[in-house]
Amino acid sequence: MIAMTRPPVMLAAALLVAVLVVGSAAAQAPAASKPGQCAVPADLIASDPTLPGLAKRFHDRQPVVIVSIGGASTAGVAAGSPANAYPQRLQEALTRLHPGVPITVINKGVPRQTTREMIARFSADVLAAKPNLVIWETGTVDAVRSAEIDDFAMALGDGISALRAGGAAVMLVNMQYNPSLASVIDFGPYLDALDRAADLDDVYLFDRYQIMRYWSDNGRFNLVEVPKSKQAALAGEIYRCLGDTMAGAIDRAAR
Amino acid sequence: MAEVARAPRLGEAKGERDLRLDFFRGLSLFFIFIDHVPGNLLAYATFHALAFSDAAEVFIFISGFTAALVYGRSLLRNGALLVTAQIYRRVWQLYVAHIFLFVIFVAEVSYSVLVVHNPMYIEEMRVANFLETPHLAVIRALLLLFQPAFLDILPLYIVLLAGFPLVLLGLRVHRLLPFAVSALLYGATLFWGWTLHTYPADAPWFFNPLAWQFLFVIGATAGFSRVTGVWPFPAGTGFRVLAIVVAGFCALVSLDWTIHWLYDPFPLFLARQLWTHTLDKTNLAPLRLADFLAIATTTMVFVKPDSRFLHRGWARPLIVCGQHSLYVFCLGIVLAVLGHFVLSEFYDGVAMQVAVNAIGFAAMIGLAYLLEWYKVAVRRVPGARAVAGGSE
Repeated sequence: MIAMTRPPVMLAAALLVAVLVVGSAAAQAPAASKPGQCAVPADLIASDPTLPGLAKRFHDRQPVVIVSIGGASTAGVAAGSPANAYPQRLQEALTRLHPGVPITVINKGVPRQTTREMIARFSADVLAAKPNLVIWETGTVDAVRSAEIDDFAMALGDGISALRAGGAAVMLVNMQYNPSLASVIDFGPYLDALDRAADLDDVYLFDRYQIMRYWSDNGRFNLVEVPKSKQAALAGEIYRCLGDTMAGAIDRAAR
Repeated sequence: MAEVARAPRLGEAKGERDLRLDFFRGLSLFFIFIDHVPGNLLAYATFHALAFSDAAEVFIFISGFTAALVYGRSLLRNGALLVTAQIYRRVWQLYVAHIFLFVIFVAEVSYSVLVVHNPMYIEEMRVANFLETPHLAVIRALLLLFQPAFLDILPLYIVLLAGFPLVLLGLRVHRLLPFAVSALLYGATLFWGWTLHTYPADAPWFFNPLAWQFLFVIGATAGFSRVTGVWPFPAGTGFRVLAIVVAGFCALVSLDWTIHWLYDPFPLFLARQLWTHTLDKTNLAPLRLADFLAIATTTMVFVKPDSRFLHRGWARPLIVCGQHSLYVFCLGIVLAVLGHFVLSEFYDGVAMQVAVNAIGFAAMIGLAYLLEWYKVAVRRVPGARAVAGGSE
């Protein structure tokens, strides 16, 4: 809390720690996460709707462009930089799964934006890159600011249509699970709205919330009591797991 | 809620208490508790599973109805000045209850937030960071401008009741005058998007009083008929049939959605067209309002004041809870916040869910029976009322 009243200091400290810790960790870290650590039960990874357009590109070995748009957790703020964020890890993991296919994941994460604010960025930040798939991580800021739930749901519908009109397949990503915030902010209705918007528009939903919750509940990661010196490294590891898991999910949906 | 207001022995004097009001208000209190415990599986079995509206509508409608019933009689007997004083004493009680809940909430938030040391959430928390400026948060809470999760329905009720003397005076002039004014305000609010704001700056009130006053006034207009003996709304067979058809249709559609969200392959009807129109609880979306009024009418058609089930053993706890609704409501919110905390911090398996629900129900019923016992006991002992005095 005290640190948060001085965000620039906090951020600078986090950055410094990130550079030191992740830098040294990266030197020895294996390319993929340790087997087992990121594992999630199969029912947390949806098998539909599928991504046939992407499947064809993988099959024909054509270049694949993915744009990842979202908030702070997409930008990778906690891990120090986009280089440690899950979109980067996703690109690495997908490339391992499809060697020979040029795969680019572009990170367009900007902290603290509502769903509508992200939609306003779609044409310049997302569609301009002519992506085959857009990974859209949203809902956090809307929930925190308790945006009206129907506005949120309608914004999701509008955003999905806009992305599809731009020729991209869409994958929604819901909020990060946070064992402490969960008792302060009511994410429930927003998670439901994301679920239902995805359901109504036949959009693939990557259930980050339940996946992280599974890791937390099963002691894979301790999300609460983290010594300061290990925070950025932990964030980096979680983003790596998320990237790996997401690559698995995309691969499964694009068969 | 009504028992204090009824302190001048109005209801008892006539000896005719409409147990339906107590029963359904009690039921809505349980549903509000269930819906406020996050991830509660029982939430699939509340009112909302069969309607576009939910327990909040029931609670506000019945509160308006009872307020008109109780204070309407007092108005005719004691005059406008005294009844305004009575209403404001009630407003004060609600206000104190709200501040009490706020303190409990702050204790929980401080505990949760201050133990978090993970930068993954700092960006998220900063937006939520009302504890950054506690001096402002407290003042805004006192002004009802700070309504964190769960603490939103009492401020609505306080504002509605604070404006209620005007509604009563309007009812005395003409039984449909407040209804007409209120309908205009509701329409204008929806049309121009009027809203009240809370702290932090741009969050609107979760329950927009400018919209919800309409339901409260509809309840009051109906409730005032118990004072005048004249039913103000249409009651013909055609109207009733329409209401039953609307309520039945909404129930089928809602049930279909509920089943689909639980079991994906189940086909979904009309969700694309209707779903987003049922979500706006903040402004009491017209679809929710229409469905609720249809349900209320249907209930009045099928559930008579002398219905047998109201005297069955299983209905008794709900009725007693409904008769002490302010205290039971507050306890329900505190328990929901605690349940939320336990489920999210420790363990949220089915066993814990069952335990949280069971303990919550038991505590709410226990409190209601305790208050009922106290009320009866105090009345029996001569002089005890004066000693117990406080709220009288």
